Amino acid sequence: MTDVEALLFSLSWSQPELWLAGFALVATLVGAAFGDRASGPLSIGAALVMVIAATLAALHRPETPVVIFNGSLVVDGFSAAVKTIVGYSAAATLLLASEHLQRSGDRRFEFPVLVTLAVLGMFVMASAHDLIALYIGVELQSLAAYVMAAFRRDDARSSEAGLKYFVLGALSSGLLLYGASLIYGFAGSVKFAEIATQIGDGNAGLTFGLVFLLCGLAFKMSAAPFHMWTPDVYEGAPTPVTAFFAAAPKMAAVALMARVIYGPFGALEAQWVQVIAALAAISLVVGSVAALVQTNIKRLMAYSSIANMGFVLMALAAGAKEGAPAALLYMALYLPATIGIFAVIQAMWRDGKPVEDVADLAGLARRTPWMAYILTALLFSLTGIPPLAGFFGKYAAFLATVNAGLVWLAILAGLATVVGAGYYLRVVKVIWFDAPAPAFDRTGGAVVLTAGVSAALTVLVLVVGAGAVQSWIAISAATSFAAPPLP
Amino acid sequence: MEIGLSHFLAVGAALFTIGVFGIFVNRKNVIVLLMCIELVLLSVNVNLVAFSAFLGNIQGQVFAMFVLTVAAAEAAVGLAILVTYFRNRGDIAVEDLNLMKG
Amino acid sequence: MGLTAIAFYALAAVAVGAALAVISARNPVHSVLFLILTFFSTAGLFVLLGAEFLAMLLVVVYVGAVAVLFLFVVMMLDVNFAELKQGFLSYMPLGALIGLALLAELVLVTSATHGQGHSALAPPVEGTNALAIGRVLYTDYLVLFQLSGLVLFVAMIGAVVLTLRKRTGVKRQSVSRQVGRTRKQAVELKDVKSGQGLS
Repeated sequence: MTDVEALLFSLSWSQPELWLAGFALVATLVGAAFGDRASGPLSIGAALVMVIAATLAALHRPETPVVIFNGSLVVDGFSAAVKTIVGYSAAATLLLASEHLQRSGDRRFEFPVLVTLAVLGMFVMASAHDLIALYIGVELQSLAAYVMAAFRRDDARSSEAGLKYFVLGALSSGLLLYGASLIYGFAGSVKFAEIATQIGDGNAGLTFGLVFLLCGLAFKMSAAPFHMWTPDVYEGAPTPVTAFFAAAPKMAAVALMARVIYGPFGALEAQWVQVIAALAAISLVVGSVAALVQTNIKRLMAYSSIANMGFVLMALAAGAKEGAPAALLYMALYLPATIGIFAVIQAMWRDGKPVEDVADLAGLARRTPWMAYILTALLFSLTGIPPLAGFFGKYAAFLATVNAGLVWLAILAGLATVVGAGYYLRVVKVIWFDAPAPAFDRTGGAVVLTAGVSAALTVLVLVVGAGAVQSWIAISAATSFAAPPLP
Repeated sequence: MEIGLSHFLAVGAALFTIGVFGIFVNRKNVIVLLMCIELVLLSVNVNLVAFSAFLGNIQGQVFAMFVLTVAAAEAAVGLAILVTYFRNRGDIAVEDLNLMKG
Repeated sequence: MGLTAIAFYALAAVAVGAALAVISARNPVHSVLFLILTFFSTAGLFVLLGAEFLAMLLVVVYVGAVAVLFLFVVMMLDVNFAELKQGFLSYMPLGALIGLALLAELVLVTSATHGQGHSALAPPVEGTNALAIGRVLYTDYLVLFQLSGLVLFVAMIGAVVLTLRKRTGVKRQSVSRQVGRTRKQAVELKDVKSGQGLS
């Protein structure tokens, strides 16, 4: 191939990314011309572009990994699955956010642009095939996220969340980068394919580099003990931004973690499996126990997400063959439930102001029955009660872990599930049996739509989809980490 | 004595440690915190350039260039968030961050 | 000890010393100045390593842009910095312990590399350093180059969205209105009679 042909070939495999980047640039121009009036249409446009990008990624799933841009990025079944999940969940949260921001008076056209660029960063993370792409993907997503956390700039809590997120996030990027520099030095290359061949039995430098890198990534997916920022940022950031943080970036961080441990470091499984299992165990314990005492629903969801990351890490510890599909399935079934719950949280307005205490949901069943049914179904799904979607994700994670011989971790996760049921069911009890609190204001269309769709996905997946989703993901994952693809 | 790779890596490690250490001891002063983050990124660049020179491989220097670029972007965003925080609070002390409790 | 060794030790000592001063100075303006000194001496180390282009870049980007941005913010925010220094000593013992442990481990790990690779002072590729980087930057790393452009774009949007405020009551130049006005709006001719003036 000549250089031009190689470039065109690479571009043809990066259509989803081109759509996102192109839209971000055009949207900025449109916003500059029309001002904040354009924010509504731009949000819808951005959501549409994300859906297009996700669909393109899903349809262009290659049979064998395709390495593009001289080994910087790779397109394979795994990246296709991740991009699909990221694109759809980001689109859903953006639509929700747009409605909420209109209502709270933070109508700024920059918001959809930032979300689009963050999604682009996540797509790069999903496809990263060298250390530089990994770093730039992470930073593109994180920088946009810092700004979004501080988006409500006249609100002290929002700026505080942004500042905390920034300081801790930048520190974790530093750790990640220091690890990357050690890996580069001791393996002699930044390309994953070359690292995989150079790695041998590993040495102290590589192990150190890997540990630093994993710490940085654990921070990005808010796994304990690197979770300190999560509750504060979830609480302080504007609710629609929190909903966004809770969905797509989690998937991207999990994907990047899988890329690193199964790709270049596949040969050092004995070393990273301990780190991942420890992260999983701590996350399960911290997330489940701390959630029990939360009164703010956003903080509750923060700890819930930490515990759920524990389950995903547990699945990842099972190795590429079983762990990757289990982790993907878990995320694919967990994210709709989270998004749906956040849709309901965003509907919690009283007297023109958003409220966010668990107590504000009291007696919801008697005030707004449809919302109570949806919320109950979603919470049951997160608990992992059998007929609902969440059960299948948990089942896959447990199965992979037990097959990999990590029985102690599976037992710990079982206990965490029981504790988790405690705090999810506490919310259900408040909804159905407590004396009603004053009614909420009328909700907008996007909330109803998103909550309804996510509940439908959660409930119906057992009837039609579970098998289909699972086999689709299994094929995606199977074509990915088999052998390190050479450039 | 010949100056080898490990000498440069030691400088990198020292700068990295000072940066991380600075973040822990300067918890109140966010501006110095941001400077500590710059120190950490600088230490990474020292590592990358030293490895690049001793491996005879240009990748490290290209990586260092990207790190420089992103570090500049990070400084800009960090200072912007700091300015909004200052406008809301009239102060930049991080330990005052008690609107929200763990 | 050769000239290179002397230069290395001098630059390394200044870099590390200035970095320590950054985190312990009382006045943040001094911290910024020490940060600049750290960057300068690190740039010197880069020259020793044969990476002159990056050395230049470090000086231009950091000293020219980032450090000035820091100075600007330090001076713009009206903060009582003496107060912020309190509590520094209380974290000192534990922090120093952890720091020393980390440093020892890192040096131990990284010193295990003796004898690897080439000599330091040979440039890695033929030709000048800038040429070598330029050759690969727009070809092998094209996509990453473009993406880093988008990272800067995010930073720009972020800084604008967080800090730009439309204030009312500010006198602004409106070029389109200036250019668009006609002679009729701008000039009024009066016939001034001698001895009477305008009334």
